[in-house]
Amino acid sequence: MEIIISNSNGIPIYEQIKEQIKNKIISGELKENELLPSIRALAKDLRCSVITTKNAYEELEREGYVKGIPAKGFYVAKINRDLAREEQLNKIQDLLDSAITIAKTNKITKKTIVEMLDILYLEDE
Amino acid sequence: MKNILEVKNLNKKYDDFALKNITFDLPKGMIMGFIGENGAGKTTTIKAILNIIKKDSGEIKIFGLDSKRDEGKIKEDIGVVLDDMFYPEILTPNDINNSMKYIYKNWDEKMFNSYLKDFSLNPKQQIKKFSKGMRKKLEIATALAHHPKLLILDEPTSGLDPIARSEIIDIFQDFIQDEECSILLSSHITTDLERIADYITFINDGEIVLSKTCDELLDKYGIVKCREKEFKDINKEDYVKYKKDRYGYEVLVENKRDFKKRYDVEVIDKITLDDLMLLMIKGVK
Amino acid sequence: MRGFMMKDLAMIKSNFKLLAILIIVYAVMGVTDEMDISFILPFMSVMVMISSFSYDEFNKWESYASTFPNGRKNSVRAKYLITILLILLMAVITTVLSLFIAHSKTSSLAYENILLTTLGNIFATIIVLSLMYPIIYKLGIEKARIAIFVTIFGIAIIGGILINYVDLAKFLNVLSPLENYWVFIIIGLGIVFIYTSYRLSLHFLLKKEF
Repeated sequence: MEIIISNSNGIPIYEQIKEQIKNKIISGELKENELLPSIRALAKDLRCSVITTKNAYEELEREGYVKGIPAKGFYVAKINRDLAREEQLNKIQDLLDSAITIAKTNKITKKTIVEMLDILYLEDE
Repeated sequence: MKNILEVKNLNKKYDDFALKNITFDLPKGMIMGFIGENGAGKTTTIKAILNIIKKDSGEIKIFGLDSKRDEGKIKEDIGVVLDDMFYPEILTPNDINNSMKYIYKNWDEKMFNSYLKDFSLNPKQQIKKFSKGMRKKLEIATALAHHPKLLILDEPTSGLDPIARSEIIDIFQDFIQDEECSILLSSHITTDLERIADYITFINDGEIVLSKTCDELLDKYGIVKCREKEFKDINKEDYVKYKKDRYGYEVLVENKRDFKKRYDVEVIDKITLDDLMLLMIKGVK
Repeated sequence: MRGFMMKDLAMIKSNFKLLAILIIVYAVMGVTDEMDISFILPFMSVMVMISSFSYDEFNKWESYASTFPNGRKNSVRAKYLITILLILLMAVITTVLSLFIAHSKTSSLAYENILLTTLGNIFATIIVLSLMYPIIYKLGIEKARIAIFVTIFGIAIIGGILINYVDLAKFLNVLSPLENYWVFIIIGLGIVFIYTSYRLSLHFLLKKEF
């Protein structure tokens, strides 16, 4: 499992860990019931504190992505795909909102934006 | 037993310096970074915990036992690296091994020798012929080889190059893979601590300024950078300390998100332990 | 305690070559000159032990050792045991050497004389070291050097004055009923000295703050 941590992007380390594990779960790279590395082992590998990894796992558990089993560790939970999708859609909406705000303040038309979106979408594929 | 070490209202007075009501807890399975400038009282506190000096008052509990009454028992399970205190330097690692195996019940000759190998320390060489970094590594190997549950380390990484420091930090993280074990680690090299310490205890002029989880500190605290005009609008209770220089104000705030909601300032920076120390010590209220 | 003794032994061992050379030099001088080599016993014992305290202090060994289980107590005990062992070893070496030298010079051997000299030397060494140790434990070796010098010098002066003013013959006369037992008295006194000194040293080290 690859996790890349930046010390300088201003995002708390536990959040970076949380987001990356979450993405791996949503994308299916981490499968249901897979055992995650222990809090301590992960802390060692990432060179961060135990409390940091603990926080990350606990947040993931609160959001329903993993389940902690006492004395065993954390497993990938069965995720509600719809819910996960919903969440991702919300994220996209937020980003689009900011894009639209910029467009409106600069008098850029919807048409231009849609065109841009089409091009970007194609490029990515 | 939740805490491996509990220090409560520790006092120790000298002519020109005093520890005042030192209080903090170190939970098990955790690394605590003990920071403060030179002369702030880190070493004195550590010495009092280890009964190298006598406390005037206060209570120190280690493994839930009284540090004085159960001293003999407690010390079987403590490993120490102290600044400038060790075996006489005409001795060799082999001599240390031959001595230590009769001092600690749990002394692990194999473990000690494997550390010597890992650190490329010649077991037959006199300590005085080792470089400073190698010497520190030998001291750390010696502190670890009786399987202690609490490691107390006074400036274990000072004088080491980044590679040696990184190796040693790996060893510390290995050590707490066993969740019964904890480390109290004093250092003025805060970058090492920022990543691996679970708790930070900050001592200044003989007093504990704060003792918190490292994440909480680094996440919540922030430095507001502003002009005089903006600074005048900030309520006194909304910041911890501030420092003024020629170009503006640096203001330490305890919760940067709350602060952002309440005040309209341009820059709130993430904090480092160095910033925190500097502002706490040099800043004014 | 054994761990502490191992450490002291290792320190003596690391100076072993120097000690051996000194002993050989003195032995040769003893054979070629008219020199009495019995001084090796007190001289070498004091030298070895003082240097062991100096090495300890240089690396703050006592404060490091106080972090070990029962560190302070064991440290003092080991020092005294090592001292006794060292004195005995030196006694054997000087006795053997003296016998050897005496044998090389005359054919008749004064066993009794040599043994008595050794016993006297053991006693003298014990007194000197027993006086020194508590001072070292109290003050540290650096400050103790002066204190030790003053103490030994003081004792010599007081002794000198006493000999001048006390009628020695009369004094010995008073002691004469003990004449047959004095070997035992000396041994007994030696033990009392060491033990008192040990208790004092222990007291000082247990109270010491580093």
